[in-house]
Amino acid sequence: MVDVQLSDAEKTYIIHGAQDNLREDGRGCEDYRHLEIETSVVSTTSGSAKIRLANTEILVGVKVELGETSPENPDKGRIEFFVDCSANATPEFEGRGGEDLANEISNMLARAYDCPSCLDMRKLCVVEGKKCWIVYVDVLLLECGGSLFDASSIAVKAALYNTSIPRLTVTHDEGHTELELSDDPYDVQRLDVYNSPCIVTLSKIGHSHVVDASQKEEACCLARLMLAVTDKGCVTAMKKEGSGSFDVSSIEDMLETGKKVGQSLNKSLMEVLVSEDRNMKKKYMTGYLR
Amino acid sequence: MLTNKVFLKKTKKGSILKIVREHYLRDDISCGSSVCELCQHDDKGPVLEEKLTNLSQKVDQSHYIIPDTNVVLHQIDVLEDLSIQNVIILQTVIEEVRHRSAPAYKRLKDILTNPTKHFYNFANEFNKETYVEREPGEKSNDRNDRAIREAAYWYQQHLKKLESEIDIVLLTNDADNRTKAKEKGLTSFTIHEYVKGLKDNGTLLDKLAHVGTGLVHEKDKVQFPEHLPLNEILRGIKSGKYLQGSFIASRENYLEANVSVKSEDRWIFIQGHMNLNRAVNDDTVAIEMLPEEEWSCPSSLMLEETEEKTDDADIEAEDAKLKQNKVPKDLRQPTGRVVGIIKRNWRQYCGILQQSAIKEATRHLFLPAEKRIPKIRIETRQAKDLSTQRIVVAIDSWPRNSRYPHGHFVRKLGNVGDKDTENEVLLLEHDVPHSNFSEAVLNFLPKMPWTITDEDMKHRTDLRHITVCSVDPPGCTDIDDALHCRPLANGNLEVGVHIADVSHFIRPGNALDKEASNRGTTVYLVDKRIDMVPELLSSNLCSLRCDVDRFAFTVIWEMTHEAEIVNTKFMKSVIESRASLTYGEAQMIIDDPTRNDDIATSLRGLNKLAKILKQKRIDKGALTLASPEIRFNIDSETHDPIDVQAKQLLDTNSMVEEFMLLANISTAQKIHEEFPNCAVLRRHPSPPPSNFDPLIKAALSKGFTMNVSTGKDLADSLNSAVIENDKYFNTMLRIMTTRCMMQAVYFCSGMIPEAEYLHYGLASEIYTHFTSPIRRYSDILVHRLLAVCIGADASYPELLDKHKTQLVCNNLNYRHKMAQYAGRSSVNLHTHLFFKKRVVDEDGYILFVRKNAVQVLIPKYGLEATLYLNTDQRKKGPLFVFNEEENTQTCGGISLHVFDRVIIQISIDRSNVQHLKLQIKLVQPQIPEFSVAPTEDDKSTDDEPPTKKQKLDI
Repeated sequence: MVDVQLSDAEKTYIIHGAQDNLREDGRGCEDYRHLEIETSVVSTTSGSAKIRLANTEILVGVKVELGETSPENPDKGRIEFFVDCSANATPEFEGRGGEDLANEISNMLARAYDCPSCLDMRKLCVVEGKKCWIVYVDVLLLECGGSLFDASSIAVKAALYNTSIPRLTVTHDEGHTELELSDDPYDVQRLDVYNSPCIVTLSKIGHSHVVDASQKEEACCLARLMLAVTDKGCVTAMKKEGSGSFDVSSIEDMLETGKKVGQSLNKSLMEVLVSEDRNMKKKYMTGYLR
Repeated sequence: MLTNKVFLKKTKKGSILKIVREHYLRDDISCGSSVCELCQHDDKGPVLEEKLTNLSQKVDQSHYIIPDTNVVLHQIDVLEDLSIQNVIILQTVIEEVRHRSAPAYKRLKDILTNPTKHFYNFANEFNKETYVEREPGEKSNDRNDRAIREAAYWYQQHLKKLESEIDIVLLTNDADNRTKAKEKGLTSFTIHEYVKGLKDNGTLLDKLAHVGTGLVHEKDKVQFPEHLPLNEILRGIKSGKYLQGSFIASRENYLEANVSVKSEDRWIFIQGHMNLNRAVNDDTVAIEMLPEEEWSCPSSLMLEETEEKTDDADIEAEDAKLKQNKVPKDLRQPTGRVVGIIKRNWRQYCGILQQSAIKEATRHLFLPAEKRIPKIRIETRQAKDLSTQRIVVAIDSWPRNSRYPHGHFVRKLGNVGDKDTENEVLLLEHDVPHSNFSEAVLNFLPKMPWTITDEDMKHRTDLRHITVCSVDPPGCTDIDDALHCRPLANGNLEVGVHIADVSHFIRPGNALDKEASNRGTTVYLVDKRIDMVPELLSSNLCSLRCDVDRFAFTVIWEMTHEAEIVNTKFMKSVIESRASLTYGEAQMIIDDPTRNDDIATSLRGLNKLAKILKQKRIDKGALTLASPEIRFNIDSETHDPIDVQAKQLLDTNSMVEEFMLLANISTAQKIHEEFPNCAVLRRHPSPPPSNFDPLIKAALSKGFTMNVSTGKDLADSLNSAVIENDKYFNTMLRIMTTRCMMQAVYFCSGMIPEAEYLHYGLASEIYTHFTSPIRRYSDILVHRLLAVCIGADASYPELLDKHKTQLVCNNLNYRHKMAQYAGRSSVNLHTHLFFKKRVVDEDGYILFVRKNAVQVLIPKYGLEATLYLNTDQRKKGPLFVFNEEENTQTCGGISLHVFDRVIIQISIDRSNVQHLKLQIKLVQPQIPEFSVAPTEDDKSTDDEPPTKKQKLDI
């Protein structure tokens, strides 16, 4: 993980603050930092989003491609995650330095979305047993400022919401299936991401737990719990990380908090996305260096 | 300002790509009007005029015209008319036209570059003010229409801002578009309304194309089956239900055609109106195979559509008539029917107007010169004027309920029978580029006076001291080749072939080179030559005339007296020819024992070697084939032919030919050795055995067995097939053999396996063309390759790219074929002119026996004509009976066989003044009620056609 060096006194200060529900930057334990989202940032993708959470900056691009259905799930499409830790984010990522972290994030995302209620994969099926859409989600870490899992999942959800899949008409003709592409670029299929999860990371600091830990807070934390929470408060994936251990009761506490925070996070995210989509037409391109 | 253009594309593999193009919008695009002071015009100044002339009664203001895409696509002939000026062509329109029709696009580009037309290309898609983004739910066509309206509106406002009187007129035939334009306050008409409103619209009205407009009458019943929509066709082709191919109509029978299937390299036969289903020659069509029991074969009928049939004439009944003829099983060919048209390949057609029964009618039928094209229905008000003219017509559409396609008049070429007009027709019909060389091309010619510099001499061998001479047909100005022969000290002979070094003057890639590459070959008509390279080169700088220094590409062999090659050398050289001889002159020098100068010894040496070479070649199995070649004696004043005779062959003809063949073969070996992958070669495939069937059958009827298994066997069989008292029989056989042959073609050596390089006719494993660079582009390519081989010239990338070379070869093959056809047509034309004033009885030989006709060859004129037997006009007398087994036609106890000698009377059929046809009648053998009485000698008819003013003294 990306670390900062802290002295014991600094650590104590942070731990005590968390106990009193007052963190070093003035937040409460269940508050996220300021979050900025922008969608449709990369025009060559099927859908994209950029998110900035304090210093954490993540770009997600979604590409859909036609592929063969898998034999286990002939009526479903697939979603695949790939995380790239850019060496721009931190020098430690140079070479293969970011690989472990990238795998961790992509595995977590894959597990979080591996739930029938999250995303209806049957809608991605084009011809049963033959053709389906494969959704490739590419996550690019541009800058690290803590809460990489949370920020990634939010960006992924935003990018999936922004994804448009070309509309295909399937015609059957004497055993041949013919796919026809609509020539109207606006005639597209959108993904229903209403139930897609967001990851909430709860970091145990002293006896209390905080969400959206900053890098300094992460340095004080021995164990954290990551929960993928949907809009309805359903937890689709859970992961524990760190050298420390949890007490059962504290896990229950953290689950409660996670669900609560996750639900409100999902809700406000959807609101923002819907309103941005509505205002999309007014947006004018100004070139890459906007 | 930046915007993106996003579109989705499906690749061939089936994956779907999203393509994003950046699109930059500008605010400095000029409106192109002279009135405008706001816009910054480019260096050439504004295109659109301030004072306008083309006032239509429809609009009282002066105006600029903006046509929409469909108007440009369909009415390009109107737009090309000189009276239509000051037109704004929007970029949206140009792009749509480019997508939908390449020829229309090219013509539009030509108009735009013509400064007298004042056509302005406005880049509305890049203008910030007029760019429109496609809206959700909007079709791409609707978006383009909106873009056009938006641009028109911008112009209107722009001109208003300038307080100008000029209005904008939007021409569109789309009613919906017009309504929307009017809502915006724009002036808009259909092109038809507009042209009708023009003050002087005479010919313009005729040029209007009627696409989907009221030319069709309701009472016309639907006759043809519907064409399938394109997506269904493509699906069918993919699944193998339909086949895609190009449609080649038969020249002999308008109800028959063949489709060459793209994927399978075979021919599918198509017969009858319903099955042909409105396909026109050259179209790319989709066909469906018929069940095997409905398969048919080409009838041996020669069917010409003569009478005008009304639209309601029942084509089904005509088809039914065809079906009655049961086809025996073994003759059946794979037969199909056209289900849809993938791409129309309509061009403009030359021809004449068919005289209509009603004088004042505006609907007329047009008779194309090309027999494969159906008649075309056109609307014209100047029929009287056009009746004596050759005209050009374009097809617009072919509705289901019309027997003929609909078209419109484009332009007139000149009077029927006028030689210039007729030449123009045959050049157009054979797609021969014959316009004058453009300024850009001429710029690459060397500056006169041309001299040889020291720089030139560096890479050249000076051969000016050698006695070189050229031997060509009389009147030849483009002398490609010269020869020499001299004894060497070691007793051997040195033989040199010197070929004009055209590649020195035509450098790869420049405009001159491109033009030559496109033309491919010089086209020889009877009275005209259409040069491949400008005259300065063809008749002067490159031509190896006598007594001047000329650059040459030289092949020098050292040969023994038995014509065995000891060694071969290639070099660029400078020569000075001592004499430009004709074949006749050269022959005289050889035969004249008193002459013993250098030229005479040289020629005699060459002649001797040539005879040995020829014998060797024949022993190897080279074929001596015959095709009747004739020449005209042309009256120097009127340029009308006054006499026709078959060309004579002298020893010297064959002498030059032998050395040219040798040079070609040596070159082919050399360039193939150096460039096994990109040499330009020429091959002549051995014909499939089935091609020889008619020959074998015909020879058998005279008791000769032809062995066609190899070229050598065939040559031997031909040599032995001689009838003592019928000396023309052998020639006939050779002519028939020629018909069995395949076309020789150019190709790039890397594209096919080496075993297929064979030149069948010459019995050579490898062959190319090296000896006529002035008149053939292939030779220029070969020169360049050879120059690289010997280090005399630099290579360039295209030369070594086998795919590009193959493309060039394909074009050369096409041009070559067309040039041959054009040459033949020209001979035909002159034959017609010749017989216009004569009726002649002549010997003829029966070449083929058909179901309703026999084809007769007239050796004296090298002419082949069809003698129709059971014609409709022939009411009386017994009919001819066709015996398919023996291939004879019998009537009144007299049979006509292949090779029979007959006497026929040749004349011009004047039943249709416009369309004179060569007509032959049988004189001998005499068949009652069929044969005609012999004409008295040299009786020339006096009834000159009215168009002829001058009279000839013969």
